[in-house]
Amino acid sequence: MSQPDFNVEIFQNEYLPAGGREVNAIVTVTSSGALEAGPAAAAQASEIIIVDCSGSMSAPRTKIEAARQATVAALDAIRDGVAFAVVAGTSGAKPVYPGDGTLSVADPETREAAKAAVRRLQAGGGTSIGKWLLLARKIFGTRPAELQHAILLTDGKNNERRRNFDEAIAQCEGVFSCDCRGVGTDWNVAELRKVSSALLGSVDIVADPSGLAADFEAMMKSAMGKEVADVALRVRTPQHARIRFVRQVAPTIEELTARRTEAGPQAGDYPTGAWGEESRDYHICVEVEPASVSQEMLAARVSLVLTSDSGPEVLGQGLVKAIWTDDDGLSTRINRHVAHYTGQTELAQAIQDGLAARKAGDEDTATSRLGRAVSLAHQSGNEDTAQLLARVVDVMDAATGTVRLKRRVADADEMTLDTRSDKTVRVKK
Amino acid sequence: MTACPVGHDSVATDYCDVCGRRMDAPSGPAGAGSTGAGSGGAGSAATGAGSAGIGSAEAAPGPATALCPRCHAVRSGRFCEGCGLDLDARLPADLAGNQTSAELAGTGLGAGSTGSSVTSASPLGHLTGAGAASHTAGDQAGSPAPAAWSAVATADRAYYDTVMASGGPDAAAVSFPAYCPERTFALTGREMRIGRRSASRGLTPEIDLTGPPLDPGISRLHAVLVTRPGSGWAVVDPGSENGTLVNGNEIATGVLVPLRDGDRIHLGAWTMITLRQSDSAEIE
Repeated sequence: MSQPDFNVEIFQNEYLPAGGREVNAIVTVTSSGALEAGPAAAAQASEIIIVDCSGSMSAPRTKIEAARQATVAALDAIRDGVAFAVVAGTSGAKPVYPGDGTLSVADPETREAAKAAVRRLQAGGGTSIGKWLLLARKIFGTRPAELQHAILLTDGKNNERRRNFDEAIAQCEGVFSCDCRGVGTDWNVAELRKVSSALLGSVDIVADPSGLAADFEAMMKSAMGKEVADVALRVRTPQHARIRFVRQVAPTIEELTARRTEAGPQAGDYPTGAWGEESRDYHICVEVEPASVSQEMLAARVSLVLTSDSGPEVLGQGLVKAIWTDDDGLSTRINRHVAHYTGQTELAQAIQDGLAARKAGDEDTATSRLGRAVSLAHQSGNEDTAQLLARVVDVMDAATGTVRLKRRVADADEMTLDTRSDKTVRVKK
Repeated sequence: MTACPVGHDSVATDYCDVCGRRMDAPSGPAGAGSTGAGSGGAGSAATGAGSAGIGSAEAAPGPATALCPRCHAVRSGRFCEGCGLDLDARLPADLAGNQTSAELAGTGLGAGSTGSSVTSASPLGHLTGAGAASHTAGDQAGSPAPAAWSAVATADRAYYDTVMASGGPDAAAVSFPAYCPERTFALTGREMRIGRRSASRGLTPEIDLTGPPLDPGISRLHAVLVTRPGSGWAVVDPGSENGTLVNGNEIATGVLVPLRDGDRIHLGAWTMITLRQSDSAEIE
């Protein structure tokens, strides 16, 4: 597989006051695509589209219709040579194309055959997302590829036992990545987010089924643009240092702290999935043992590591440092990037808290948390989130976060805000 | 492999793999030394003392006999791999025949030797055969650790978030407490049970986390802190419902895990217990 270049930049204030322990840094990772990317990589990729065909998909009738169209659009975006399959999900899961539960190699002929099968899809039955994922896992297993990606579309809540659902997700973790889309407003944000977080994908709402085709096509294009699979963020810390947290902060907030796997002494790997031509930011917080003033220490060596059959390969690295000083002017400065993403993380939390309080009928908390969110979105220039917030609260003063809860809020607006609460904006240049 | 200024072997040539120090750091810049010295951990390098200290260390007998006077870990460089103690601190003074380093003697060096010999408790202890011998003697003495240890229980948001993220069956029902007072328990005796009061079983654990606020993830008898003969404390999970983490790693049931100053025990849905050794707070 062709390999992109990875560039790692560190933004931090490396100065700590005497006795200071906490080191914060934003790590910006940018991969620029290799020139020969494209069809050359196709043989290494496989793709499965999972379409909800439960009974609810037929009401309104346009929903299953839109799902079929979206799947057809996605099939068109699959590159020649990529192995693919389509799965229909109900209370069970069954292969739609190819019908024998394997993967087919994309070419004009197989694509048409798949489209024909998709157009015959009918709705009826329950929703067992875990079983759908497990079937996808099995199908991927028939022809292992480096990049294994799935798209999951659903419109309803999962009917499975929590344990079975969690178990299924855990089994798929690390096997394939999965982008999830919820159609309409009857699905559960937390459920799909659980799938997309564990399987390193995105989650979004498609409130209007007519928008589905364009969305599927975009998702498939992005999946086809991935050039390397299984990249891990490796953080190596000195003895006695502790990682407080590692989280992705752009383009979305994704907590990675608990997903560490040990990688030799004092080092741990955090999964980041597949990379195309893109840029992501990570916030790393390390607690170190303080040293004497004027001493310098490496608080963390951050590298991007590609795990392949031939062993780990380092794609790029950056250094997070700590220098102790008694100059308060140096040590009290907060790095702009760190401050920005600390704010974005708080923004996401404030929205989720506020919406939860609103649902629970606690209007005071909802007003104060959503007000805080409005103020943070305003300060950081997160326009998209600010607009979504304005559909849920009436904004009196954005700067101070003075808001009033709207009496009537469309379900779609509330769910859109919830789903997209973890989308961040980058630091203004 | 190259050696860092402190003596660790490091593959990386810019910053030491082990301690994170700059490989080309000067060993004794003027004025850098004592300003902020005295912090307890691995970083407490009073750089000014560096050259002298390292010189003495090299003169020491083979590493096999060199043990940290505080935690008895085998010595491999200037800083103890086990507890981070600066093994060369105050060495020049001690060499000058000054054996009244009372502070250091008290600094957890109380660990093994019950004040029998100042020499064995000083940083020089590991340099001499006598010192090494007195460690074993101290171990046998088996005196409980001095009442210097305490356990501080508090609510940890980050841990709660990871617990919620891993989404156990009851996760949704548990909320993070709006207010949780910090509770400090002095560690005394030979064992301290961690859990929740149970009138029906007549159980009152020494570290009683009944609350409020109540952490429903804590078992009645969740874990036990025990002191090891001659040194600090260790934790054992006798088989709690939801498990116990030490510094973020889940510990096996029934296995003693030794603890150091500053180690964190996580249990339940949001409870964090931090081990503190009060002498080391003085160093800081």
